[in-house]
Amino acid sequence: MWPIGFSTGALFKEFIAKGVEFSRELKLRSVELSALRLRELPNLIDFVNRHDLSAFSYVSLHAPTDFSPEQEADVARQLLAVALKKRWFVVVHPDCIRDVEVWKPFGEWLCIENMDKRKPVGRTVGELDAIFAILPKAKLCFDIAHARQVDTSMTEAYRILNRFRDRICQVHMSEVTSTSKHDRISDAAVRSFREVLTRIPNVPIILESPVTPESAVSELEQASRVFAQTTAKTPV
Amino acid sequence: MPQTNPFEILFALETTLGASWPQFHAAHERTLKLCEDLDSSTSASQDADASIVTFGSVGRFEVTDASDIDWVLLIDGQADLAHQRRVLDIAGAVDRLMKKKVGQEGTFGKMAFSHDLVQYIGGGEDTNANFTRRMLLLLESRPIGRRGAYDAVLPVILERYLTGDHGWIRGRALHGVPRFLLNDIVRYWRTIAVDYAYKQWTRDNRGWALRSAKLRLSRKLIYTSGLLYCLGFIDHEWAADQKVAQTDRKIQGIDRLQSLCALTPLDLLADAFMKSTGLSDSASRVFGAYDAFLEILSDDSQRKHLENLDADAADGDELWNHVRDLGNTFQDGLNALFLDHPENKFPELIRKYGVF
Repeated sequence: MWPIGFSTGALFKEFIAKGVEFSRELKLRSVELSALRLRELPNLIDFVNRHDLSAFSYVSLHAPTDFSPEQEADVARQLLAVALKKRWFVVVHPDCIRDVEVWKPFGEWLCIENMDKRKPVGRTVGELDAIFAILPKAKLCFDIAHARQVDTSMTEAYRILNRFRDRICQVHMSEVTSTSKHDRISDAAVRSFREVLTRIPNVPIILESPVTPESAVSELEQASRVFAQTTAKTPV
Repeated sequence: MPQTNPFEILFALETTLGASWPQFHAAHERTLKLCEDLDSSTSASQDADASIVTFGSVGRFEVTDASDIDWVLLIDGQADLAHQRRVLDIAGAVDRLMKKKVGQEGTFGKMAFSHDLVQYIGGGEDTNANFTRRMLLLLESRPIGRRGAYDAVLPVILERYLTGDHGWIRGRALHGVPRFLLNDIVRYWRTIAVDYAYKQWTRDNRGWALRSAKLRLSRKLIYTSGLLYCLGFIDHEWAADQKVAQTDRKIQGIDRLQSLCALTPLDLLADAFMKSTGLSDSASRVFGAYDAFLEILSDDSQRKHLENLDADAADGDELWNHVRDLGNTFQDGLNALFLDHPENKFPELIRKYGVF
């Protein structure tokens, strides 16, 4: 049973409230609140402090990716307060971590995402090993599209799943183009993802495919095809 | 992709045997230095979509002072006019580092595209250059600096061989030998042997002795690597277990082959000898002969002597006869490992797959 939800950024970019509301309308039980740009972080913090999200069985936060080294400690401080209070995972790109000390207090609520091929770290088992060596309690957000972009044979995905299966707390799913842009999941991607399906733990699946309200349901159906035949009906 | 320290297994074997192979240590040191220099001098030409890949002595970690650098810019990404500029910049950096030019056949010092390597296996579009690049990627390659394109392309080439092998992917290949891959590796070995004769013919025998020495030792070594890739599945039950899902077999097969590709050919051969009890004497002779071969390549006067040796004077030439002896010793050791050893499965596999 892999509960599927959306990243709010995939649905309505910086409009978190609209993404959450739309997820509710679709009766999704998982959601990732996205603040990819630093300017969106105050709104994210304000939103989670003012809204009851208990209708969702799983909520995670996606940290900004454009902060400077000087801003890092403040970003981490704001996210840490939410993570510990709500007991939500905070997804962080490993190339954004310059000062590991400010991220250590997150403990198990820090969720490192494996990266696409353009990033200098976090793409492979070896590179992820180095990160978890210094953040040993951190979890993994397994971005299956990034892993496929790095190696379309899905061998690196297989290695990551084998090595870090117990760390995986959520999965990011979408298509990632050769220029590292998120896209809607193609049939070829569905076939690739299915190759490692049996090794994916039962954790929430967060879609990062850029969709319109009109295309969201068909994207959920496309993602569900990855899991077809494995469960009689994949809940969304 | 798995990373290994070059010659780690080879040096462990040297210690186990109580042998001394100084040329391997010298080559190791020279190759490390060259790779560092290449990386620093070409860093501006590297990116996520294009890896500089070296072959030949650099790929095998056997650099001598007279080595050239065979390289390509392996591109796995968007079309970009800037790629040609990068090729020129890399060529300039290589020229500054080495005295020799890249090979004369036009296979190296250029762009190579992932789609050609993956899609054109066999058939008219699998040109000699495409075939050579693909085989050397598998058998003796080393990326310099950013290796993203290299790490992305290699598993897909392997995927093509394994999924294109009807029997292997279904778990029906005896002892898990991937026949499609094996056939291409055998084809490559026979091709370079035939190309040796072609080069003798077209170059009026110039340089024949040095090429023959390489054919008897370094070229044969990489063919041996290829054999070990293919025959080594015998130790992995999943490769020939029809109950294992095709997807699992494919991914585990790629994972295993990619980890072998990360080893140098000498490490791979050393590993095979270390796992074959009772072959210590053969191992000492095989690697001793190869070490002596590297000593000849490292010695400017001996190398030049071979480069200029007249074919008609070869029979009475002391150095040439020494090279022939080294080649024969190397071959005898390979025979002991692959054909004569009573305990490993190689003789049975060679009988099944090696000829027909």
